[in-house]
Amino acid sequence: MQPLLEIKDLDISFRKGGGRLLPVIDAANLHLNQRQAVGIVGESGSGKTMLCRALIGTLPRHGAAITSGTIRFDDQELAGAPERVWRSIRGREIGYIPQSSLAGLNPVLTVETQLVESITAVQSQSRQQARQKAVALLERVRIPRAEQVLKARAHQLSGGMRQRVMIAAAIAQAPKLLIADEPTTALDVTIQREILTLITQLRQELGMALILVSHDLGVIEEVCDSVMVMYAGASVEAGPVGVLSTSPRHPYTRALRVSRVDRAVPGTDLEAIPGDAASVGSWPAGCRFWPRCSLADNACRRDPQPALMPIGLQLSACIHADRMFELEE
Amino acid sequence: MLHLLRHPILRRLVQAFFVAFLLMVFAFLLIRLIPGDPAMILLGDTATEADLIAYRKLLGIDGSLLEQFGRYVFNLARGDFGISIRSREPILSIVKKRLPVSLWLTATTIIMTVALALPLGVVAALCRRTWFGHAFQIGASLLVATPVFFSGLVLVLLFAVQTDLAPIAGYRPGFPGNLYSLWLPALTINCVLTPVLARILQSSIIETTDEEFVEAAIIRGTQGWRFYWRYLLRPSLAPTVAALGYFAATVVSYSVIIEIIFNLPGVGMTLVDAVRNRDYPLVQGIVFLSGLLVVSLTFMADLVNGWLDPRAKIR
Repeated sequence: MQPLLEIKDLDISFRKGGGRLLPVIDAANLHLNQRQAVGIVGESGSGKTMLCRALIGTLPRHGAAITSGTIRFDDQELAGAPERVWRSIRGREIGYIPQSSLAGLNPVLTVETQLVESITAVQSQSRQQARQKAVALLERVRIPRAEQVLKARAHQLSGGMRQRVMIAAAIAQAPKLLIADEPTTALDVTIQREILTLITQLRQELGMALILVSHDLGVIEEVCDSVMVMYAGASVEAGPVGVLSTSPRHPYTRALRVSRVDRAVPGTDLEAIPGDAASVGSWPAGCRFWPRCSLADNACRRDPQPALMPIGLQLSACIHADRMFELEE
Repeated sequence: MLHLLRHPILRRLVQAFFVAFLLMVFAFLLIRLIPGDPAMILLGDTATEADLIAYRKLLGIDGSLLEQFGRYVFNLARGDFGISIRSREPILSIVKKRLPVSLWLTATTIIMTVALALPLGVVAALCRRTWFGHAFQIGASLLVATPVFFSGLVLVLLFAVQTDLAPIAGYRPGFPGNLYSLWLPALTINCVLTPVLARILQSSIIETTDEEFVEAAIIRGTQGWRFYWRYLLRPSLAPTVAALGYFAATVVSYSVIIEIIFNLPGVGMTLVDAVRNRDYPLVQGIVFLSGLLVVSLTFMADLVNGWLDPRAKIR
């Protein structure tokens, strides 16, 4: 089957003064079929958000650019695509729920103004028609009293409500792909669950593919079919969700799994990954995870960041992918 | 009755009244702090002690401070601002003659500030990394550091002496003819106001650019004027409008210098004369009335902000 989205060896750098480049993503890979849901997991600073921005063409706004690699979306090459192409993609083909999207609503405008914009941006229609569609959209994201919410501004709505409005705006054109960048981070646990359920339901109703970015493996397991793990700008492991969580083939994925809050034993200290996450601009030479890895040997320190290699049902970027059993549980 | 005070606009009005009262007290006390006796100034060195006492009584500046203040407040409450010690003319009629000039100057200046600072701030924010952005930074600092009496003279030299675009000095009443004599003084004040306001606007727009809702609007496909007005300008205007209200107030004090440079017969010039003559009632009247003007201008700025940004509604 033709994949909906195929990202191959994507490199992204920040443009600094004097033509210097600061790599933020190096060797990101992602494969996504129609209607499939993939999760991207990683610590903050691993490049998850920049990868999403590459998929909606807003890298230049953030002072970054794609330096090599390809983004194939629905038979179109998006890496280096001109703004004209992006306008036909953004919102229509790819919907996006931005990170910290509680700030995604303009505080001085009503919900109606902003929803109507996402409806009329594609085809012009009468105010009345657009308004009716806006109401339908709000009902679609299970907002009660849609008429009232239309007249409200961001500060009059709860966090969960704002998130629902953001989702409504993102799905206005029934896109083929929905990207949700940490959609539940700022919400409390019960609302988190509601929002995740809503996203799953909408995905089925509209037949959308989904990219869900999170630093929480638990959230991804709940919603996604497959997962891609990022560390220091690189894809380090990818595969079906169940396989990765039961038998990870990269020490980082394993560490993420062990440090999960819902696996903690009451009364004991929470497991944390030793060392600090490699931050942009200070990636170590060799495999970028070696300073925090107990399997690391000279080869890991010497050879460049390994490419993703198939092992069993998944892909791993660890040269010791077959030695995971040596790591203590 | 008290529950009415909970209405934000009413509460703000009560605050404004309180400020106006304080202003009246200050105006009354400050002029009396300056050494010098109006009776002595008017009668000259040859006057006897008896003459002075009689004259002070005539002028209404006899008795203790408290007595004088009581009389002043009592008269003010009836709308009587008193009469000028120097010209024996009622304060209100002097102010009525002089105030229009100052109001016209203020209005022209503020309209000019908005017309110049808005586009300048927007362009400076959008082009902050180009040569224009850098030139703007340097030019703005230079202009702000230049005192108005200097820039005023340079502008007169350029536009009134070298060319015929403005009169060298003086004022011709009546709109729109008066704009001919007002645009140069207004431009002079704007040498200071415009760069400051444009900088405020520039930095708030730059801040807004990083907001998540701007990214959301781009992804939605919002373009053109809609995008610039709704997502960049409107959410950034609050600090600018607040500053504008405050600037309108500074224009009132700038106008003292400006009216002297350009020989405009406004309240600023009258005020300087009144202080020199220790014309107590006239100083009090002008300070109090222009204070009221300032208070109402800032009040208006708050109202505009409430409309622009519903979060900032007067609390």
